[in-house]
Amino acid sequence: MLLPDTPLNPLERGQLNAMRLTGAVFWTVATLVSFGPGFGLSTGFDWFPLWLPAAVIAPLGLWSVLYATPKRWSRWGWAWTGKELHVASGWLTRRHTIVPAARVQHIDVTVGPIERMFGVATLVLHTAGTANSEVQLPGITRETAEEIRDAIRDQLTVDPW
Amino acid sequence: MVSEELEDHGPRRVHPLTVVIWFLKKAPQNVVGLPAIIGVTSGRGLGWIALAAVGIGVVSLVWTWINWRRFTYEVTDSELVIERGLLNRTRRSIPLERIQDVGIEQGPLSRIFGLAEVRVETGGGDKDEAVLDSVSLSEAARLRGALRGAPARPAVGLDTCEDAPPVEDTLTDVFAMSPQRVLLLGLFSFSLVWIAALAGAIQFLGDALGFGWDEIADMAKSAQGEVQSRLTYSTGFGLFGLVVLLGVITGVARTVLREWNFKLRAGIGRFRRTRGLLTRSEVVVAMRRIQLALIQRGPFRGLLGWNALSVQTLGGSNDPSGRQVLAPLARDYEVAGIVARAGLPPFERLALRPVAPAHILRALVLAVPLPLGVIAAALLLTPFAWLGLILTLPPVLTALLQRRYHRYALRSASLQVMRGVLAQRDWIVPVENVQVVTLRQGLIQRWLGLVTVEVDTAGAGMGATPAVVDVALKDGATLARDLAAGIS
Repeated sequence: MLLPDTPLNPLERGQLNAMRLTGAVFWTVATLVSFGPGFGLSTGFDWFPLWLPAAVIAPLGLWSVLYATPKRWSRWGWAWTGKELHVASGWLTRRHTIVPAARVQHIDVTVGPIERMFGVATLVLHTAGTANSEVQLPGITRETAEEIRDAIRDQLTVDPW
Repeated sequence: MVSEELEDHGPRRVHPLTVVIWFLKKAPQNVVGLPAIIGVTSGRGLGWIALAAVGIGVVSLVWTWINWRRFTYEVTDSELVIERGLLNRTRRSIPLERIQDVGIEQGPLSRIFGLAEVRVETGGGDKDEAVLDSVSLSEAARLRGALRGAPARPAVGLDTCEDAPPVEDTLTDVFAMSPQRVLLLGLFSFSLVWIAALAGAIQFLGDALGFGWDEIADMAKSAQGEVQSRLTYSTGFGLFGLVVLLGVITGVARTVLREWNFKLRAGIGRFRRTRGLLTRSEVVVAMRRIQLALIQRGPFRGLLGWNALSVQTLGGSNDPSGRQVLAPLARDYEVAGIVARAGLPPFERLALRPVAPAHILRALVLAVPLPLGVIAAALLLTPFAWLGLILTLPPVLTALLQRRYHRYALRSASLQVMRGVLAQRDWIVPVENVQVVTLRQGLIQRWLGLVTVEVDTAGAGMGATPAVVDVALKDGATLARDLAAGIS
């Protein structure tokens, strides 16, 4: 909670499942692939067991999917105040980004295949900035993303002065 | 999502012939290159290669066609909408108010088919914000009309209105570098490259002659031997003097070549900078494209009261983006004069507040462990390693002084930040030019109750940004809130 006065909405539960599925696929593939070098090493050195790399990677994957991913998911938060979009994230290093609607150049709403399975979408705000010109908010419903997009667009048509 | 009928209103696809253009563009690698590689590696005959070429060609054509089907665009009364992607569906909305420029380009292939590529620029970070590749010429003209017909509304900090052709007005001198000052700047720009070159030369000669750093180290220990007869103290000092001389000469020569006859003049809404001895360069900086001002003081010139002033500009179709030097070596009052001429608020050092006291603690935590670790490791090799503690003195001193030189304030609609001990920097960032505000808190900062406030501006390149590092959490939240409120 870097900005305690701004109450943040959590991401959809679907996003947690999407993150878990992505992680599970990645770690399963990594575990299977690790049998390759494991096989190579076990033929090279008699003492080297074939399953050793997999036995290291699989628990790491379990830890990541069962513990780290929910942690990371719960650190995300967002709020649309009507003038600014707040996006907070990060488990060890925490970030809270404020994008004023008046600074938005264009807006993307993206839905990937896994995101579609769990009914979530990613909202991407582009500004004229440099290091942080693309602010992403994943894990909201498509309807919410479109609502925020339309709200920001309405802000733009209001004269700044 | 994609409507099937292509009527006047509703999403449209780019011209069907585009499929051919895309296919032909990729053909050299797909239809010729890939089969050739397959053929060579598998060692089969020409028939196989031809078959592979046809197969890959068909797949590539189908793929191109699918991509074409999935790419639609639509101009509504308020925005340009582009939908694309097969699995990853992206819907991009570009508000018409934000469109700065619509370019129509015709490559050789498009010309054959009578098509054109429409590029839409919004002044955002990336170049490929919206490219419609390719549409018919009449559609391109219609699009330009539809996209530009929007009432040009100046967005704060960015100009959406067209650049009027510069009115020929008289330019007044704002700042100039006298020859003496250019030479002085040259002396400050002492180049260390030659010391590195000398080290490299010793290494090289050492390899060639059979002596090197190890032997020199031996010499230092035993203070005798064959090497010593070759490299005595007097030749050593002579060599050192030569290197310093070369460093000075290089610095002066480079500076004279670049900054000779530096002149900054100002007209209505713009600066014109000319400089250079052999190649005269001329740069025009439009004042309303200036995003922030940066005043820098190097270690020596800062002590003597000299500053360098540069501004960060947002690039446009004709203007360069990034950092432009407005005064390479100037006194405080000269810098203040240029800043005022640029229409920026003055930098008021006395009004600034220091960051949280724990900033020193974090600076120490970041500065000390690594050198201590190196020394501890070296102690295992030689007991003399504790002498290395002397080397940790500069970083520790810098860390202790860091808070003294890191101050900030939100004043007269601008964020003012000073940071840096040896190389000092002052930033003046008009709040309206801030694009995104980010609060960031690392692990150490969380333990100390600190937070860093970062501001993102347009046209920033590499290098330091006007971040306020390590303020108390409450102050950081207030600063971020005030910044965001100032923008919207």
